[in-house]
This record gives sequence, C-alpha cells and structure tokens, in this order.
Amino acid sequence: MATHIAIGSSQTVDTLTATKEAAQKIKSSLQSTKPDLVLIFSTIHHDPDTIAQAIDNLFPGSKAIGCSSAGIIFSEKIMTNGIGILAIASDEMKFGIGAVSDITPTNIRMAGSDLAKNIVADFGQHGRHVCLFFIDGEIADSSLLLKGVQEVLGNVFPLVGAGSCDDFHFKKNFQIFGSQALEMSACGLIMGGQMSVGVSGRHGWRPLGKPRVITQAEGNIIKTIDGKKASHLYEEYFDEAYQDLRATQLGQMSILYPLGIFIEESNHFLLRNAIDILEDGSIVCQGGVPDGSEVHIMIGNKDSCKEAASEAAQEAHNNLLGKKAKLVIIIESMSRLKLLGRGAILEIAKIREIFGQDIPVFGMYAHGEICPFESVERIKKPYLQNESMVVLAVN
Amino acid sequence: MSISLIFNILAFIVICVLIFIILSKNSRLNQTRGSLLKLKKSFNELDEQAKLIVKTDLELNKAQEESDKRLGGLEALHKTSRLISTTLDENEIFHRLNESLQTNLDFDKMLILFYDERKQLKPRVNVGYAPEGIEYILNGLKKDSSLLEALTQGHIFSSVAAATQRKKAIQNIFGSEHFVLSPILTQNGLIGIAFVGNQSSAAAVTEGDEEILSILANQIGQSLENARLFEQVYRSSRALESKVQDRTKQLEDALAEVKKISKTKSDFISAVSHELRTPLTSIKGYAAILITGKLGEIPEKVKERLEKINLHSDNLVNLINELLDISRIESGRVEMKMTEHDLRQTAENVHDLLTPQMKNKNINWELNVDKNVPNMIYDSSQVERIFINLVGNAVKFTPENGTISVKATWDKEKDLVEIGVSDTGIGIPEDDLGKLFSEFFRVDNKINQNVKGTGLGLALAKKIVEAHHGEIWVTSTVNQGTTFHFTLPVKPKKAEAPAAQPAQPSKNK
Repeated sequence: MATHIAIGSSQTVDTLTATKEAAQKIKSSLQSTKPDLVLIFSTIHHDPDTIAQAIDNLFPGSKAIGCSSAGIIFSEKIMTNGIGILAIASDEMKFGIGAVSDITPTNIRMAGSDLAKNIVADFGQHGRHVCLFFIDGEIADSSLLLKGVQEVLGNVFPLVGAGSCDDFHFKKNFQIFGSQALEMSACGLIMGGQMSVGVSGRHGWRPLGKPRVITQAEGNIIKTIDGKKASHLYEEYFDEAYQDLRATQLGQMSILYPLGIFIEESNHFLLRNAIDILEDGSIVCQGGVPDGSEVHIMIGNKDSCKEAASEAAQEAHNNLLGKKAKLVIIIESMSRLKLLGRGAILEIAKIREIFGQDIPVFGMYAHGEICPFESVERIKKPYLQNESMVVLAVN
Repeated sequence: MSISLIFNILAFIVICVLIFIILSKNSRLNQTRGSLLKLKKSFNELDEQAKLIVKTDLELNKAQEESDKRLGGLEALHKTSRLISTTLDENEIFHRLNESLQTNLDFDKMLILFYDERKQLKPRVNVGYAPEGIEYILNGLKKDSSLLEALTQGHIFSSVAAATQRKKAIQNIFGSEHFVLSPILTQNGLIGIAFVGNQSSAAAVTEGDEEILSILANQIGQSLENARLFEQVYRSSRALESKVQDRTKQLEDALAEVKKISKTKSDFISAVSHELRTPLTSIKGYAAILITGKLGEIPEKVKERLEKINLHSDNLVNLINELLDISRIESGRVEMKMTEHDLRQTAENVHDLLTPQMKNKNINWELNVDKNVPNMIYDSSQVERIFINLVGNAVKFTPENGTISVKATWDKEKDLVEIGVSDTGIGIPEDDLGKLFSEFFRVDNKINQNVKGTGLGLALAKKIVEAHHGEIWVTSTVNQGTTFHFTLPVKPKKAEAPAAQPAQPSKNK
C-alpha cells in the first residue's frame, strides 16, 4: 500500500509543449505508476482545450480536473505564467470527480447540487474526507453554488473551493474536466479512503474605522449601509465619487480594503470583495451578505498575511492529529498575490516551516475561496471568503 | 382625617420619590446621552483616523506595487536582454523575444513592429492581436505620420504621461486603454516600434513600465544592429569565400591544364631528343671520321668547318642530354639512388672536378660545412650535378681573383641542411631573379653573350632539389655577387620526381 505524489511544471510558451514538459516531470517521478488523480492549474496564457486533450492523452484513464489561475504555487516558486500539474497515485486514497456546465444566474444553487451529486456518483461508496471544487470566478454569487453542494454533502462536510480566474483582468477563465475545457462551469473532486485531511483558512485582515450596519441587502448585493447608499462607505474613505471609484480604483480598493461582515458571537470576519458598484450605488459582492450584519472596512498588510498563513498552516497541521502530511494543497486569494507581490513566496515559506521543508506544495490563486469557517455553532461550516488562504493538508 | 392625611403624605412622598427617580433617571439618561455622544464622537474621530490610515496605506501600497513592478520589470528585462544578446540571428532574436515577453511581462497586448527591406512596418512579435487587428494598427500608423515622426525623434508615449489628444490617438490605433509605445532606434534611425498595453484599469501601466519598455526597446535595437552587422560581415565573408573558391578552382583548372601541357611538352622533348640523338651521333661520327683524313685528305678550311660541326654537335648532345634529364626527372623516370653521404665530400668532389677552370681564373675556393651537419641521405650523382651547375655558373660569372664559397648549416628543428653557393661575380639584375630557374632562360649579359650555354642547368638543379623535397632560391646584388641557396632534408622521404609544373619564380629570401 502506498501513495505517490509528483508535481511538474513548465513555463514554455507553447501550450502543448508546456503540458508535455510538466507531464514528463511527473512521469519521470512516478516511473511506470499510473496516476489516479491529475490536478491541473494553468495561467490564462495557455489554451485550455490543448491542455485538457494533452492531459487526456498523456495520462489515459486518470481522473483529471483543474482550472485557470492568476498564479500557481509550488514549494519554492510562484509562477504567474505557466502550467502546473499534481499527480497522485495511490491504492489508499479514493477519488471521485464531477462537473456541471452552463451555469447561469438562475441555476447556480441547482448547479451546486448537481455538481456534488456527480462527484458522489463517481466516488462511490468509500469514506469521504474532503471535497475540493473549482467554480468559474465570474459567477456572480458563488455562495449559492456552495449552498447547493452543501444540500448534498451536508452543512459541515469539509469543503474547499476556489473561483478560477485570469491575470487580474476578470475577463475569462476556464475549468478542466477530463478531456474537456469548460467555461461558466464548476468541477470538483472528493478525496477519501484511507487518508485524513487537515483544513484551515485565514485571511489576516483587521477591521478599520467605526462599525456600520448593512441596512438593506439582497443576496450578494449590499444596497444600503447605515441607511445610506452602500457606495457611500467607500466614497467617504477614498474621497471620490463612486463613478470615479468604479472607473479607476475598484480593483485596487476591493483587494486592499474589502468589506468585513462580522459574524455574531465570533471573533471572525467574513471578507467580501466589492466586484462592482451599480448605478444606484449598491455594492456587488462575490458572495451572499446577510441583511442587518455589522460591516467594516478591513485592512491588512504583508505581515498580517504571513501571520495568517502561518496560523492556517498550524491549524491544518493540528487537524491532522499528529499524522504527517504528505501533501499540502493551497487555495489562496489572488488579491493576496497582488498585495504581497514579490513577497508572496514568503507565505509559502511560513507554511513549510510548519509542515517541514520537504513537504510537496501545490496550489493556486483564486477569485473567491471556500473553506470551513468557525461559525456561531462552533462547528466548522464552509463559507465563501475573499482575500483568504486555505491550507488543505493531506495525509 | 388622619387616614387622609397619611394618604396625602404618602402620596406626596411617592410623588417626591418619583420626581427624584425621574430626575435621577433623566440625569443618568443625560449622562448616557453624553457618553453616547462622546462615543459617537470617538467613533467618528476613529473613522477619520481610519480614513487617514487608508489614504496613507493606499499610497504605501501603490508605492510598493510600483516598486514590485519595477523590480519584476527589471528582472524580466535582465532575462530578455540576456536571451537576445546571446544570439546574432535576427529570427532567433524575435523568437526569443516572443517567448520571453509572453513569460516575463504581464501585458494583454504586446506588439513589436519592424521596418522590412521595402521600408514597410511588419509585425515580428505579437501577443494578443488578431491579423485584422494588426492590419488596423498598420493603417492607423500610416495615417498618423506625426506619430511616426515623433517616434523617429525618440519620443516615448504612455497612457500615464502622453498629451490627451496623442493618448486618444494611440488608444484608438492600438485598441488598448493603458499603454506604452516606444521607438526602437539605432544609429540608422527608427527601425521599429514596441508597444505594450492593458485594457483593464486593474492593470494600468505606470511610469515604471514606461522606463522598462524604453530600456527594452534600446536593448532590442542594439541586439538587432549587432545581428545585422554580423549578417553583413557574414555575407561579405561568404561572398569572399565563394570568390576565393571560384578563383582557386580556376587556378586548379589552369594548373591542371599547365601540367597537362607540361607533360605533353616533356613527352615531346623526350621523344624529339631521342629521335635527334641518333642522327646527331651519326653526324658527329661522320664528322670525326672526315677530320681524321682516313677517307682522304681534306682542305684546312673544310677541316675547320668539320671541327665546328663536331663542336656544335657536342653542344647539341649536351643540350639534348639535359633536356632528357629534366624530362626524366619530371616524369619520374629517373630513380633516385638514396644513400648516405658526407656533404663535405660531395662538395669536394665537385671542387676537384672544377679545379682547372678555377685555377685558370685564379678563383679562391672556400668550403665551410658546419661541423654539426650530419651525414645525409641523397642521390650523390644528382646532388653533384646541382653543385656542378651552381659552382660552374659561379666560375663562369666570377672575375679573375674572385672567390667562390660553399657554406652548409644544419637546421636541427626542421632536420634539413641549407647550402649556399656564393660568388663574387657580376650579380643578377632583380628583374631576372624570378625567371632564373625557367627552362632556356639566360640572363642577358656580356658573359652569356660570349659563352654558350643551354639555359637548362638551373632548371635541372631545381628539379633535382625538388625531387629531394628541398627548395632552391637565389639572392643577388649586381656587381657584388650572387648566392644560390638550396635545402636538402637530412633523411628525406623516398625522393620522387616533382610534379610536372611550369617554371616557378625564384623564392627570394
């Protein structure tokens, strides 16, 4: 009984060559062992159809999922241009994959439910440990998809999710499922069998300024805060009309100063990026926002990010209950890459300090992250977050 | 009464208490209101401070992002520069540029246009543009001559710093909201333009991008200029090489033709000489018989004529013999008898042979063979013929009381001996030195006009030296003397006939 893990990468411009180069590194490492699972992350510079078909040809019979990302995380480097592949060959671990496509604003929740059902159908009757899934980052309210998944897998089942993204242009992104490249879709996998996982997420942002109350909200749209149009909050802080903010600073503003929704009886804040400001001054968030919640402008810095990374890694490590991690998968907000810039690798260094320098690390930068979050009931219930880092340690 | 009074008193007390309580509550309420106002004021102050913090933090973050961007840009620039400066192939430069820019620079659109040989801008690096998009850009640039003019003058434009009208024009041509446009200049002027752009405000270009692209454009210009210079040199070199090859081929063909002619000549001389010698022998024999008078007394005048016939026959025989020798050596029909000899002895033998002529002119003979000269392997009869020809010539051209010296030294490194035969004769004009070893060439001077000769002696000596893998050349100063130099290997490979070739000019050392 054994589990073999291999990671390959390439920065060659030609997509087919890059995929082959990354795959070759994996094949060299796994020798003749056929991988059971192939996880692919690619930056938007590569053609997804070519990747999907090449992976299908190079690893026939292996279960393959993946998505586009603003950057790919490895133990010792972060690539903002290239392809990364993780392959797991194991007779201990079990994998099931599934996907849903053609997601529209009206069927998001049902799509989540279908996604979970598809994955479960492929996984079969094994012990489930964690579900990892990737959603098109352009889907307006990913928290609805999360709810759909939870309808099938349960409210407290460990879910780790990521919004696939591009290189901060928010134009197009893709998902990979088997030999198919998808858009406006979601794909995911369940890991189970003889294994254990430790999951944790942190963001490291702190509330700034006086608390305010969301006085009117619908789904992922905050209409008013303290009885004023929602955009007034940012207009006050940035001293600019929301039209100007929207035109020039929305991206920067959203990344550096997200909204923090305070969860009652908890010391944690759910972070929400403002992805748009509507004509009436309403703020559109990536995930749902509860009406009547306390809201703050949040602020973070490089040190708080690194500290959060360290805390997340420590908690994920603790959740393994003394077992040694064989792999760490990281889902991290693309905003953190923007904030940390060249220092982004320092977060990974913090994680390796916890798990050991030789731990294989594979991850991606996402537009919206989902992970179990400490809630009112003190039960780890998954939530959609922005600006966070999720550490999934696999034994 | 008392009950009523008591009731009134109690009511009064209750009212007083109530008033007191109300007053007390009101006071507390006022206090709370005051506290709330203070708290609200504090919150508002806190919020104002937070706004200041946000503004400062935003500026710091912008500075940090710009710094990161510049560092990243410099790193990309370093990588790209290293890649393109390590090749001199123009196509390879563009290929590497394409790969490097896509990998290292984060722009939606990148376009590098270059002037081709017809002075038309052509895309060489393209990221993010469809063919029709490029066509639109090229047309736009054609129409906006002032933009190209400004670029020619070295102006760089960006969405950060360009004037509004110019900015809009470039945005329209390249279809990108945020951009940097830089000329690529060399000493010859504008050779191309480099453009990078982003559409999203989240990835707006900065002054750092402007600087990076400017440096990159310079680097591209330099690399291309180097590549083009190399290409020119390479092409010239190839053309020269081709010309040399053609000329060499022509010379080889000519040489082959000359060899062919020379062989024909040798064969002809050989055949003719053989054919001449037989009747000449008869002529000489009959002349000799007639001179003896055995066939009857002959008049003195006839005898004189017969003696001249005899003398000229001897000369003719000598000429024919020498021609035959040259012909044989050239054609390889003479086998060199390579045996070990003492060079000093060979020279002395020749001296003995020519002593009577030297004595007649009271010529001093000096033989200086270096003591280190080892025994050598050569055909002694042939080498003696070299000495006979050279010393014989020296005797002929050295006036009375002159000196003839033979000097031999050993070049240990090359393992050969250089021999010099010098005289103190009339010397040879410089113009004639090059023809000296040609067959039948005789220097035009008074001595040669009076003394008969075949003009084949030096040609024969040259053939013999070359058959021994040696070299022969001459140095001379008119009225001071002449030295014939030749080399002989100490242990030559098997001596062979030199390839038939036309007379070569002498080698003046």
